[in-house]
Amino acid sequence: MRSSAQSNMGAAPRLAADQATAAQPAAPAIEIDRVTKTFADRAGSGITVLDDISLAIAQNAFVSLVGRSGCGKTTLLNILAGLEAPTSGAVRIAGRPVKGPGQGQGVVFQQHALFPWLTALENVKFGCRKRPISRAEKEDVARDLLALVGLQDAAAKYPREMSGGMQQRVAIARALALDPDILLMDEPFGALDELTRIELQDELLRIWQVRRKTVVFVTHSISEALVLSDRIVLLAPHPGRIARDVTVDPPRPRVRSDPRFATLYDEIWRGLSQ
Amino acid sequence: MRRRLIDILFASVVIGALLAAWELGVAYGYLKVYQFPPASRIAKGFVDLTTVGFPTGITVWSHTATTIGRILQGYAGALVLAIPLGFVIGSSRVLDKMTAPLIVFGRSIATLSLLPLAIVWFGTGELTKIVLIGYGCFWVMLSNVIAGVKYVDPVLLKAGRAYGASGIELARTVVLPAALPRIFAGARMALGVGFMVIVGAEMIGTVEGLGALIMEARTFYRSEITIVGMLIIGVLGFAISTGLMWLERALVPWGDPLAGVRR
Repeated sequence: MRSSAQSNMGAAPRLAADQATAAQPAAPAIEIDRVTKTFADRAGSGITVLDDISLAIAQNAFVSLVGRSGCGKTTLLNILAGLEAPTSGAVRIAGRPVKGPGQGQGVVFQQHALFPWLTALENVKFGCRKRPISRAEKEDVARDLLALVGLQDAAAKYPREMSGGMQQRVAIARALALDPDILLMDEPFGALDELTRIELQDELLRIWQVRRKTVVFVTHSISEALVLSDRIVLLAPHPGRIARDVTVDPPRPRVRSDPRFATLYDEIWRGLSQ
Repeated sequence: MRRRLIDILFASVVIGALLAAWELGVAYGYLKVYQFPPASRIAKGFVDLTTVGFPTGITVWSHTATTIGRILQGYAGALVLAIPLGFVIGSSRVLDKMTAPLIVFGRSIATLSLLPLAIVWFGTGELTKIVLIGYGCFWVMLSNVIAGVKYVDPVLLKAGRAYGASGIELARTVVLPAALPRIFAGARMALGVGFMVIVGAEMIGTVEGLGALIMEARTFYRSEITIVGMLIIGVLGFAISTGLMWLERALVPWGDPLAGVRR
């Protein structure tokens, strides 16, 4: 699809561009272009964590990266966040090469990573500190987001006074405070108990409906990926590479017991077991 | 409540009996007054100290004020040097590795063993005492600031960077508050060291100060006065340490000393 659009562009650029906006939703929100990441180990030789990864992620898509430990999914997310640089290859967000954080990437980490010395409200405000809006507007943004994640009454609480689920809700609000185009989530619910986890998955889907964002979601839970995603990218370890790309098409809102998930679950499990 | 009252009553009876036995032991000549001055004697010593003074003219209040003044000067000097220095060393892996042996070395030299050299360098005046106190406080403070800065949870640093902080701004908004609980713990420990060093630091060239009082009383076999001096140092240390803890709770309300630190 993409390649045919490009060859059209060569022939009649104007026309092709018009066609592209009409026929396709938009240019990809994230383009990962032949990214390789190598870390030097003690012996001096390199360990390849990511090997030649290419991926285009559409605007407003919910994409999960699933794989075993060591497949480089967190490293890939860090590269998207601009927190690490690839050894070779490039990442573009909305067409612009990623040179560092703060190019419209909101990040939610595995542990909540909230600042223990800031209240819930102040933590959320930290997310919008770089936005060109007034102090009062930042306060409003932060309060609105706390309300969005259902924590308007916990504004003055410190992280240690909150449950794991509340902490992760604040972390999501903080990421949204950046007003990001894309939301990068690194196993955000991994440390939560099963019930809180389901609750937060539903919450995330609700937020995603309200504020359309492109989401890249790292998880090692197949069922979590199935409930949430439009598309699941399976990564294989040693070195990290894309093993399979699965489209998840059951319509939303989804029911966890949807029989179609069972077939997809098997397909993904086979993909991971290769 | 009732249970508690009974507990307190029992404890007081035991202490009271011990003090009475002590008193009687001295009265019947089993214990020597200059070795084991009883409570009544110590109380009298304290009254003497507040009225006549020891040596005559210097009351317990001026001894105390002098000592507090010296400790605070040495302590403040140590904090002013150690906090920025520790911040710089702790932020740099290379500097940390370079200075680590030196810091262990400096910390291991017992402060009082520096007294002879300090006298040669700074004379027998105020400066020597303040420098000795400062030296003791400095190393404790420095190692704690370095550790506080070095062991900031890397996830918090990552979060800070992800939301656009870097360089000095990252240091101010993330590293400093994350290290603050440890810096406070260091400040409390350093103050304790200041109180431990004071007696030695006031041994030479002065008759004023609690340390001097303690040593001077010994020369005159006034053990009760030595004990009064010891008690006042204990009470002072306790009071100041409690004050610092309040200050810490006000400035670091988010809690435990390991918050923001990798575990």
